[in-house]
Amino acid sequence: MLKILLEKELRDIIYSTKFAITFAAAAVLVLLSFYVGIRNYQESIHEYESAKTTNAANIAAQTDWHQIQDRVFRKPQPLEILVNGVTNDVGRTTDMRSSGELNLINSRFSVDPLFAVFRFLDLNFVFVIVFSLFAILFGYDAINGEKEAGTLKLVFSNGVARASFILSKLLGSVLALGVPLLVPLLIGCLMLLGFGIPMSGFEWVRLGLVIVAGLLCFGVFLTLSIMVSAMVSRSSVSFLLALVVWIFSVLIIPKGSVLLASQIASVPSIDAVEIQKRKFTADQGQKWLQASQQWFSSRMSSSASVNDSGFVNAMAAFQDSLQKAREDARAEFYSRLDEDWRNKKDWQERWAFGISRVSPTAVFQIAAMNLAGTDVGMKFRYMQQLSRYRDAFAETIRKKTGSSADYFRIVIKRFSGGQNDQEEKQKSLNPSELPEYVEQPRSLGDVMTASMFDMGLLVVLNALFIGGAFYAFLRFDLR
Amino acid sequence: MDQPNILEAQKLTKVYEDGLCALDHVSFSVKAGEIFCLLGDNGAGKTTAINLFLGFLNPTEGTPFINGIDVTKDPLAAKQHVAYLSDVVMLYPNFTARQNLDFFARLGGRHNLKRDDYYNALRQVGLQEKAFEQRLKGFSKGMRQKVGLAIAIVKEAPAIILDEPTSGLDPKAANEFLAILHQLRAQGRAILISTHDIFRAKEISDTVGIMSEGKLLAVKTKAELEHENLEKLYLDYIQGKVAA
Repeated sequence: MLKILLEKELRDIIYSTKFAITFAAAAVLVLLSFYVGIRNYQESIHEYESAKTTNAANIAAQTDWHQIQDRVFRKPQPLEILVNGVTNDVGRTTDMRSSGELNLINSRFSVDPLFAVFRFLDLNFVFVIVFSLFAILFGYDAINGEKEAGTLKLVFSNGVARASFILSKLLGSVLALGVPLLVPLLIGCLMLLGFGIPMSGFEWVRLGLVIVAGLLCFGVFLTLSIMVSAMVSRSSVSFLLALVVWIFSVLIIPKGSVLLASQIASVPSIDAVEIQKRKFTADQGQKWLQASQQWFSSRMSSSASVNDSGFVNAMAAFQDSLQKAREDARAEFYSRLDEDWRNKKDWQERWAFGISRVSPTAVFQIAAMNLAGTDVGMKFRYMQQLSRYRDAFAETIRKKTGSSADYFRIVIKRFSGGQNDQEEKQKSLNPSELPEYVEQPRSLGDVMTASMFDMGLLVVLNALFIGGAFYAFLRFDLR
Repeated sequence: MDQPNILEAQKLTKVYEDGLCALDHVSFSVKAGEIFCLLGDNGAGKTTAINLFLGFLNPTEGTPFINGIDVTKDPLAAKQHVAYLSDVVMLYPNFTARQNLDFFARLGGRHNLKRDDYYNALRQVGLQEKAFEQRLKGFSKGMRQKVGLAIAIVKEAPAIILDEPTSGLDPKAANEFLAILHQLRAQGRAILISTHDIFRAKEISDTVGIMSEGKLLAVKTKAELEHENLEKLYLDYIQGKVAA
């Protein structure tokens, strides 16, 4: 009996004009999201390579390791193009320094503000907006629509068990809608191969999980709307209810959760933190000047001459020790401020994510961004990697110059006009002597840990609504 | 030889949760080869009686039987022996007439029917040949009703229940429909029809049950009705001029 009902359900959906139109629209959007993503990736990679080449040329044009101006560029990742997350908000370029705070500049949205307004068409958008609506359009009248058409009574005038019927509705809808949606997704994956997007095995696994999460999210809306359809007798009412749920899920809850979280756990603005940092730096600069003046005064009063190599060495050692103390104090103060801000922000984010998880689309978004590595922790992780790279960078500079190079210092050099001095002065820097910044991918364990809760939640929501649909239909008035 | 009871209502009573008594100790039976019309105005309890036979409602008291099977005890088995056609026969608009027939035939336990069997059933109900493989989207109500009746035919159930089958049909379509019912009666099917159309009830039925406010006020055979004015009799009963 289940087979007959399932077969009918599949054919009823697939033969419908509604299916043809919505499937075509969804397929076009899926393929378009892959295509737009691929083009964006290619463009970003091109910009990235150009920026690296220009940076290497700039370094090669420099002659003094003390004054080196190096830049680090965030390499575009293939999965970022499919699930944008926060990637376009995070700066792509960093002026590398041995000390001081590292800043991310040149984010995609700062360069193309138009995209900040309209956003990119990515898989996340397709799953959250298009597929969820698609699910509602097919689920809202699954049960009560048959009642209105009189087919429900006709079906149940035969020896059909209610459980078989609702099971066929759920299974049939999932298969008839979910499987065809896999086709454009698989074609999209083939497009990635065809366009030569370099994807590691790990990235394919993550992409596969993003698609699974998307289909689970789709399943949540499908089973939810079937459940609603089994709870009310009129399809117009169930459509309205499903639409209200969709609006809350997609538009209101995610935005509301951020507002609510900011009320529950307040976080000082980044500007306020910056003001504190600047004040600290200005105070430090003042102290540095005073200390330098005192040092010079005490030395100038003594018999030592500025031409004395002992004086030069002592001055360099003094400046290094002063700078080290200043940098240590700065690092300690900044890190304390940053940590405090980060802790408060984490707490606020936990509240926001916790509240937003009422919405299935938000659950999917959190899972997908974690899988793609474009979650809100992306900037923090990148900064940590940059910080580690900075240690290697500073070490290289220290080896080259004998001290850290990128702070204000007084350098005394004697020029005798000799050939060696001229050669030394004009010798270009070799960029390859700098350590290369290589982004370390997150481990599969980290990614799975970060996304499994939300993946599990989507499974639970599916199970909940399937159970709800069963419960509601067993009590549904067939008349 | 006396025909067996295929459909039987024994003191069927239905009182809804709000206290409304939709059916009050109604008893009747429909034998093989008999057309029984439940005649009554809206709210008389005709559809409630049908819903009890189909297991869509549980009786407060009494028992509905289909081919001797207690519907309340084994509804799935009981419904193997009955075909049903409602007044709203939309069927599946994305399926062709033949595909609708195929689905409901298999649902009714007829798994081995071939395309020709479906075509024959559709011919029997008078559907135009060119419509056999057309989707039901563009079908008129009369055409859908014919497909619905073909569904009842292919199930080959001993009992057929029809709820207001001719409502909304034009006179020609209604006459064609009734002619098919005569054929089914001749095949030995027990047919229960609910209607408020006195003219059709008298024309087609072997027995008429007059219902009002959940009560079966009178049961008249064709012979008893031969010299009666059914319309007057009906009005007299529901106005209480004649004792039930």
